[in-house]
Amino acid sequence: MAATNDSQTIEEATTGMESAPDQKTRRYDRQLRLWAKSGQAALESSHILVLSSSSTSTSVLKNLVLPGIGQFTILDRTITSPSDAGNNFFLEGQDSVGKPRAEEAVRLLLELNDGVKGHSIVNKDVKEVLGTEDGVEWLKGTFSLVIAHNLEKGALDQLSDVLWKDAKSPPLVVIRSAGFLAEVFIQFHEHAVIDSHLDTTPSLRIDKPFPALLKHSLEIDFENMDVTDHGHVPYVYILVRVLEEWKQAHGGNPPKTSDEKKEFKAIISKMRKKADEENFEEAEAQAFKCWSSTVVPYDIKSLFGAENVAPHTKPFHLLLKALEVYTTTVEPYTLPLSATLPDMKASTGQYVEIQRLYKDRAVEERDTFKAILDKIIAEQGEDASLIDDEVIDDFVKNSHILRLLKGKKWGALDQDKEKLAEAAASEESSKQLGIHLALSALSSLQANAKKQKLTAEAKAILPEGVELPDEHFDNAIGEAARSPTADLPNTAAFLGGVVAQETIKMITKQYVPINGYCTIDLVETWSGVL
Amino acid sequence: MAAAASQDWPARYFHIDQILDKPGPRTDPAFAAGDGVKDFLRTKAKILVIGAGGLGCEILANLALTGFKDIHVIDMDTIDISNLNRQFLFRQKDVGKPKATVAAEFIMKRVPGVVVTPYFGKIQDKDEDYYMQFNLVICGLDSVEARRWINATLVNMVDPENPESLKPLIDGGTEGFRGQARVILPTFTSCYECSLDMLNKQTQFPICTIANTPRLPEHCIEWASVLEWPRVFGDKKLDNDDPNDIDWLYKTALKRAREFRIEGVTWSLTQGVVKNIIPAIASTNAIIAAACCNEAFKIATSSAAFLNNYFMLIGTDGVYSYTFEHEKRQECPVCGGEALDLTISPDTTLEQLIETLTERQDIQIKKPSLSTPIQQLYLQAPPQLEAATRANLEKKVSELVSAGGEVTVTATTLPFSLSLRISYTT
Repeated sequence: MAATNDSQTIEEATTGMESAPDQKTRRYDRQLRLWAKSGQAALESSHILVLSSSSTSTSVLKNLVLPGIGQFTILDRTITSPSDAGNNFFLEGQDSVGKPRAEEAVRLLLELNDGVKGHSIVNKDVKEVLGTEDGVEWLKGTFSLVIAHNLEKGALDQLSDVLWKDAKSPPLVVIRSAGFLAEVFIQFHEHAVIDSHLDTTPSLRIDKPFPALLKHSLEIDFENMDVTDHGHVPYVYILVRVLEEWKQAHGGNPPKTSDEKKEFKAIISKMRKKADEENFEEAEAQAFKCWSSTVVPYDIKSLFGAENVAPHTKPFHLLLKALEVYTTTVEPYTLPLSATLPDMKASTGQYVEIQRLYKDRAVEERDTFKAILDKIIAEQGEDASLIDDEVIDDFVKNSHILRLLKGKKWGALDQDKEKLAEAAASEESSKQLGIHLALSALSSLQANAKKQKLTAEAKAILPEGVELPDEHFDNAIGEAARSPTADLPNTAAFLGGVVAQETIKMITKQYVPINGYCTIDLVETWSGVL
Repeated sequence: MAAAASQDWPARYFHIDQILDKPGPRTDPAFAAGDGVKDFLRTKAKILVIGAGGLGCEILANLALTGFKDIHVIDMDTIDISNLNRQFLFRQKDVGKPKATVAAEFIMKRVPGVVVTPYFGKIQDKDEDYYMQFNLVICGLDSVEARRWINATLVNMVDPENPESLKPLIDGGTEGFRGQARVILPTFTSCYECSLDMLNKQTQFPICTIANTPRLPEHCIEWASVLEWPRVFGDKKLDNDDPNDIDWLYKTALKRAREFRIEGVTWSLTQGVVKNIIPAIASTNAIIAAACCNEAFKIATSSAAFLNNYFMLIGTDGVYSYTFEHEKRQECPVCGGEALDLTISPDTTLEQLIETLTERQDIQIKKPSLSTPIQQLYLQAPPQLEAATRANLEKKVSELVSAGGEVTVTATTLPFSLSLRISYTT
């Protein structure tokens, strides 16, 4: 082990040190890097209801059991047929024929992860469950999310109605597929995402420096400092300094015209003491940050004033309200400062110091935000402890990339003549609409899918006089007619991945789920959202 | 194979047969629906799967259910506990065993009639004769080098006089919520080498930052593994699969971080940096593997148009995918053949030229050997020839190659040659 002439004692060096990860952490290592312990905890507390044990359904479940959801239940009275045994990995060939398909599937799925619980219900179907008050309460109260693959139209309409009526119901994921075509839709009222993991970087507020940052930037003695230090001054200080001096000389304004911007960059360039000072190079490259105004991003501003339509998103709305108040009443009228700094050419000392400046200021602004939030919570008559400090910190940290999705009821599109006409006319969505119509028509006609009947049924969904480009329509109808009841193994596997991914996003509330109909065409290996 | 076919019970392929019994709107006119194509698929088709990991497990299962009965699989790795969150053919009790063997056994047990022949070893162990026996090759690899090798091998195998020598290559890759699948028809379409510049450049920290001015926890970890380990352990090689070695790195990095007041060194980050860990989940692998097997099915049966030729998927914000035709590069060293024009300063040394070849995103040759029609400029191997040509490294290229002259570049790890046409700046 390391040398003995250390400046720290072993105790100092080892406080707060982690021990080697346990088996469970090792097993889940590759996914924890995506959604961390908080996401994993959410998965492990979830209970997913799946209304079929079709090949597609078991594919979805495989991709949820492997990462460790808490529990799942399959509700399906199907008895395994010879054709089931041929396309489903979670059946054991002819040995499973004649047995309840859901039971077989649960047994084989549970082999994937002994941390997961699974149940099968083989003596009921969803219509029976929906037929009683107890059944409805059970459905709404037990599960985090419901998944329905190729559910018969009547049952699907009933199910989606029941779940939509009560905003406290779990989201419903609807999957429809036939041969090479498929679509996925999530029915939910509202879904709030704090940890969206979107790529946008938060503003460093170079154009609106907080007092400590400004003070430090103005105090740097560029002229007389050590030459090595000079090449290690973080570019942020350089820009804040040059900008402040520029503003003093230009009536308080930043560079505006392209000549002024060139001049500004030349000033930075002239400050170099050596030709290869990387930090000055960075400053020149990032100079635009001086004349781009830090404002509340449009994506976030548009969330202010949103109506809260579901009880589970109430905390998010309170946080949003606090953010709105913060950005409109607290100078400099921007989002709270982020403590996250990108790497930049700097000495360790200077980098650690600028990190400290940002961190301290971020904490101050977070505290101001929290005070506003506490007031709003009190005004609403809610308990002060409604929102965890951790959640508040997370919200503030991610305030530049929040998302609030408003969902629609399953089937609403097919009733909306205007939207249908719009989609049919737009190049951006006519392909998707073709797939959606073909699958809707198929569902209406069940397996009785003669091409003419399908065409007529699909056309009937569109409003009068509205047509789809022939190619998109004909291809989709043609595929549906070719393989109306085919749950192809590769389509099932594809959907298994897509739906599991979306389910994980809904449960962990991380990353952004689809909103709309995700249509899929595996002839062209193409997908598009309607 | 007739014996295997008889294990097909009635209605076994009810779902797939809806496709194979009739054409669709986007089926090639040459498609012959019915018994012929089914017979080919289920009794004659021979398919190779490279990799039995995250993508490989998925691919094997999908192919088996699709009806392929004669599947070979190559993988040189053994099973690790961190594989179990997605490599679903493996269980806790299988940790330490070869992936190819365990995967093959599982598939054969679960899907009656399928024969999966495993090979626990490297793709480079096999020769052209081996690869010639297959109709299709599907790759679920996690290494750029391996992909380049199989790509070049299959392209080199193509003999225009023998259509059977053209082996379609379907390649898949994933990273977190992202993935891609592509279809390569060697010598006809863009090949893997053609798109080398699309790869993300690996983050490399400058050595002076690591040594003198660390700022990020990653810098501290790199210091521990790149600088401190050799200083303390000399020649002893770091085994990044050994938890004890990781433990040492973690503690060492943490101590350095504390000295410099840098936060963020964790066990997870340490492992991630040292092993260059890429996040991986079952769902993304499922999507990409399904796309690959779907292509294999369409190509093997002609039952529908296949992907032309690249599918990219990003699943972090909704489901975003992009399907496009990647174009063949005329100067591709593998499937192109035209010379790549390269302009350099007349002062550039041979050594500097070699560095350029290593670093350029569209070339990336690690240990290139260079020659002109009349002279060996520098050979990496064998040792006698390396010693004999070493002196040329210091020489200016302009002394060795005239303007407009051609230089052939080869590499020991890759079966291809790149033609460069050198010109000089004035």
